[in-house]
Amino acid sequence: MKILVTVAEVATVDDEFEIDGTEIADQYLNADLNEWDDYAIEEAVQLQEGGVADEVVTVTIGPEESEQTIRQALAKGADRAIRVWDESLEGVDLLDVRAKTEILKAVVAEEEPDLILSGVQTGDDSWMATGVSLAESLDFQWSAVVNDLDHDLEDGTASVRRELEGGVEELSEVDLPAVLTIQTGINEPRYASLRGIRQAQRKPLDAKTLDDIGVDAGVVDGSLELTDMYEPESESDATVWEGSAEETAGELAEMLREKGVTA
Amino acid sequence: MDFELTDEQKQLREEVRRFAENEIAPIAEEYDVEEKYPHEIIDKAADMGLLGPHIPIEYGGAGYGSLEVAMIVEELFAVDAGIGLSIISTSFGCESIMHFGTDEQKERFLEPVAAGEAITGAAISEPDTGSDVSSVSTQAEKDGDEWVINGNKMWITNGSIGDFFVVLCETNPDAEGRYNGFSQIVVESDRDGFEADKITGKLGIRASDTAELIFDDVRVPEENLIGTQDAAFMQQMQFFDETRTAVAAQGVGIAKGALRASLEYAQDREQFGRPISDFQAIQHKIADMATEAEAARNLTYKAAWKVDQGEDITKLASMAKEFASRIAVDAANEAVQIHGGAGYVNDFPVERFYRDAKITQIYEGTTEIQKNVIARELLGKGAF
Repeated sequence: MKILVTVAEVATVDDEFEIDGTEIADQYLNADLNEWDDYAIEEAVQLQEGGVADEVVTVTIGPEESEQTIRQALAKGADRAIRVWDESLEGVDLLDVRAKTEILKAVVAEEEPDLILSGVQTGDDSWMATGVSLAESLDFQWSAVVNDLDHDLEDGTASVRRELEGGVEELSEVDLPAVLTIQTGINEPRYASLRGIRQAQRKPLDAKTLDDIGVDAGVVDGSLELTDMYEPESESDATVWEGSAEETAGELAEMLREKGVTA
Repeated sequence: MDFELTDEQKQLREEVRRFAENEIAPIAEEYDVEEKYPHEIIDKAADMGLLGPHIPIEYGGAGYGSLEVAMIVEELFAVDAGIGLSIISTSFGCESIMHFGTDEQKERFLEPVAAGEAITGAAISEPDTGSDVSSVSTQAEKDGDEWVINGNKMWITNGSIGDFFVVLCETNPDAEGRYNGFSQIVVESDRDGFEADKITGKLGIRASDTAELIFDDVRVPEENLIGTQDAAFMQQMQFFDETRTAVAAQGVGIAKGALRASLEYAQDREQFGRPISDFQAIQHKIADMATEAEAARNLTYKAAWKVDQGEDITKLASMAKEFASRIAVDAANEAVQIHGGAGYVNDFPVERFYRDAKITQIYEGTTEIQKNVIARELLGKGAF
């Protein structure tokens, strides 16, 4: 069985930052592996270690600078990586779900995975749509916000547990090939081991252009436009106490009393 | 000349930093206060393959060189020296086995260390033997096919929790020349007659285990001898470049941690209606800390790089060790000063950095010994 994991490099923001037009200014931004994808990678690697999967391949839409993030996935145990980038993607502010879907769909056509794992969302743009959109376009089965996956995958079926609103959970069976969007907490992502980091440098990482995968450059022209970015006014402040319940309960009681809350 | 790190080195540094911040930072204070060995973190570090990073790949390690080890040490010590030392010291003494051990010894001793199943120690210092290593009095006598060991070792890292120790023993008291007649012998801590007495009340690095070892007619098989009989001093000397560079990296790490904490605090803390980082007195302290840390890092990386090229760098290693340990003490001192009263209690890590930094000027050759070495190399004089 082959597993394809979509891996995104996301922008992370410092605690203090400034917005410049429709972007957060560069000096407040760092790049990191998307948190949800970290869980997806871990799930795939566990399936491989358990002898269920034969190969774990990652796919990323990103520039050459994102290779350090991709190597993290390889260091954690993925076998090889594909990175799609193209001149036509360079100036794009907002790569919409449709464009991502078309690009990933072309990679899926080449790789023919049995299972695709995708993070529920990216930590920066937070569309929460790419995985499901990809499944629809491939006519694959899908399940979103998966927080448990049975590692048997027998008879071409994945048994999953997914999170619904209001603390309700649902169990379902999904026929393979399928796309599962992975929720945080499904496992405990490992640190890349030192040996893994060494090996990762020698694992294949193929850079492909849109032309290489047969996607027309016109796909990047989205129908969405980013018009503004701002920090919402906070209506109230939150107070957070650090320490044990014994230490902080008194402080909470004191504050409630001050605010006029009485038993 | 190329100062750029490889992608692999950057990734290594980043992952170790992540480990240190997520796993060590939240519990560092507790282990410092309670002076207890961080077994749970050692287990996590083992999962990450962080133990014995310089052990060759064929024996289960990562086969990293001095430069990568320096980076690992720096990131760990930037968060906590006590737990950092606990992690990097699980393979103390293994250098001798790596370089002078037989294949059988390497398999027997290195593999469990790389796997996190065994913790080692190097037993050199004695109650009356510190900087003057040639005065070692622990005796090993041959009796049939065994060595019989008697004596005491002092300040031994991992002493009360280690599984085996590479012990510097006198094996030929009649040897000519003060550096001859010593041997390195592995002693397992479960041998009859072995006893360890944990040393408590240390100023710093309190999570790290330190003990006095007592050998009372401890018998080990003759195949526990590492390398050549009576030649241990020359064997031991080979690693000074490596181990002193690693202590230099500890200093760089502590300075980095002190700087990081100070930067954060100075921007948060407000006095006279603005963050104290607006005041030039604070700015100059921070500028000095950053400059010195960068200078120490470059000296340390250069020393580490040269060790990896196989060069003999006695003077450079001593310079890096002496300078980095000095600026670590200075940086921790300034960090406490910037924190003011808040730096005098352990609500912030700088109080711990201040206590931890001092050891880097003492172990692995004191500041004074390093300066002797540097001067001797410059002046071309013989041993001090």
